[in-house]
Amino acid sequence: MPDAPSRVERVLNLLALLLDTRRALTREEIVHDVAGYPPQITAYRRAFERDKETLRAMGVPLLTEPIDDGSETGYRVRPEDYYLPDLDLDAEEAAALRVAVSAVLLGGESGEGALLKLGGLGDEAVAPIASLPIAPALASLFEAFRARAVVRFTHRDRVRTFEPWGLSCKRGRWYVVGFDRDRAAVRAFRADRIEGDVEVGVAGAFETPADFRPDDHVESRAWFLGDDPPVAVRVRVDRDHLETMLAELGSDASVVDGADPDRPVVEVTITNPAAFRSFVLGYLDHAEVLSPPELRADIVAWLERAAAGAR
Amino acid sequence: MSPRALAGPEIQRILALVPWIVAHPGSPKQEIALRFGISVDQLDADLGLVLMIGVPPYSPGDYLDVEEDGDGNVSISLADYFRRPLRLSPAEGLALLAAGRALLAVPGSDPAGPLATALAKLEQALELPGFVVDVGEPDQLGAIRTAAADHRRIEIDYWSAGRDELTRRRIDPEVVFFATGAWYVGAYCHQARDQRMFRVDRIRAVRPTDETFEPGTIDLEAGEVYTPRTDDARVTLELEPGAAWVAESYPTEAVTEHPDGSLAITLAVSERAWLERLLLRLGPEARVVAPADLAPLAAEAAQRILGRYRETGSPSSSDPRATRRPDSRARGRA
Repeated sequence: MPDAPSRVERVLNLLALLLDTRRALTREEIVHDVAGYPPQITAYRRAFERDKETLRAMGVPLLTEPIDDGSETGYRVRPEDYYLPDLDLDAEEAAALRVAVSAVLLGGESGEGALLKLGGLGDEAVAPIASLPIAPALASLFEAFRARAVVRFTHRDRVRTFEPWGLSCKRGRWYVVGFDRDRAAVRAFRADRIEGDVEVGVAGAFETPADFRPDDHVESRAWFLGDDPPVAVRVRVDRDHLETMLAELGSDASVVDGADPDRPVVEVTITNPAAFRSFVLGYLDHAEVLSPPELRADIVAWLERAAAGAR
Repeated sequence: MSPRALAGPEIQRILALVPWIVAHPGSPKQEIALRFGISVDQLDADLGLVLMIGVPPYSPGDYLDVEEDGDGNVSISLADYFRRPLRLSPAEGLALLAAGRALLAVPGSDPAGPLATALAKLEQALELPGFVVDVGEPDQLGAIRTAAADHRRIEIDYWSAGRDELTRRRIDPEVVFFATGAWYVGAYCHQARDQRMFRVDRIRAVRPTDETFEPGTIDLEAGEVYTPRTDDARVTLELEPGAAWVAESYPTEAVTEHPDGSLAITLAVSERAWLERLLLRLGPEARVVAPADLAPLAAEAAQRILGRYRETGSPSSSDPRATRRPDSRARGRA
């Protein structure tokens, strides 16, 4: 007589039954058929709950439906929901994905899990070339994005109802880009600034516009993000720092006065003066705001407070 | 979720392994084990379990069948319900796409190569149009990566943000990688006589020398952007609630939260200018409490910058006097 079936064996048999059945099965039918459930009612109910949890945690699309006029709950897994579609990858493509997973560090082992499903790991391991951050909200946002489901989340103390149209990783940060239903506008939110859990609604709740490019809406430079009216700012910067400043400001900035080659003047249009103050202060005494006078006065006042050690 | 519910890895491996063997009958066990990252013994145990999987009425023909020939090649039959792997979980889909998109964005990747076509198939299967990973391309990245690949010693002009000075250095570039939003090169620096991490976008010029180097002298790993050194100063800051993000954004060694929401944090600080910048940005929301000699740091830096503003006065635009201002920049050579 063999040993009692292991938990792994029981869960595998449970899944085989749920995939194989043509109609939803009640818990009692399942427990009767699948070997390894304890005989006592409270014990097998608890064991069945745990097994369901395990299947769901692995991503098995376990369906529940009412049977017998709703007096009982039935369980099944529809094969078409369960099976990975055939990606039809050739050997080179599969190898390229394996290289990518070993070259890019993402935290966690999800990349390897994906590779196992796509035909296993290989010996293509390479030295990592990039690491990307993972925000807790990201997997839920990805799921909603894939399912076209509306999400609700808290961002800066406000609950947002949002259609995720795309995900974008820029300058080492993840953004979810889409349609903010409350503001009726396309917006981008930093995924790592989302507080708490993301509530994912029903699938197929919206259509993503065909020509939508998430990148067009992601602005990682805070001084372009405010709601203030756009204002042209002039900054005088030491020559050695000009290149860095132009690179950080992006293509909207230009040198408007190069009469003094050691200290050229750069102009850029911004919408968030407070964020721009932080940006300029990052250059310490290698840059100064020339205009508009209000911003210059604001920075001088800020520095005077700091110089006085005021708190 | 209870920890016991996470008994999944073994189950997930078997669910991935069965369809692969079904699709590749007669594969050597050695190859299968390698492919799924397990030992042959573990594979034997897994296959033993597979034999126990069946569906009602559980007559002999309702169980999965594992056949092994004399040379250790195995096949699985009657596995109709496990003929395909489980679809990707959100975390897996994300991990695969993000890794692929990031690698494809690395300058020099073939935009029409196998990685690109694999990602296109994946995105089509998952019906995902809008997924972008951008890693940027600083000016000197190409030159640095070439030098690292050729083990070429180079001379660089580097703006050290932490020390706020432009330096010229000879370095042996070993690892080049993207982390926390920027490209870095880990190198042996001949001026510092030690390993150093350089941000590629702060390298102003690269001049190859006619020397090469033997790689393997440094132990910086990709992603290890900043490792506090034991001799770095430990600085304790008081942060108002509005500046609490600092504790999340930098590696802290201690964080104490006060009842009013303010924080006391301790950080390793290797460069004075870095701390000056942080304090100036935070303004009244932060203050150095220890060590005492750094308490006036922000006030001194603010004075220095104010000096520049006062010199200009209220400018119309470009003031000719300003051009004669003595250059106070530190331009040390390391």
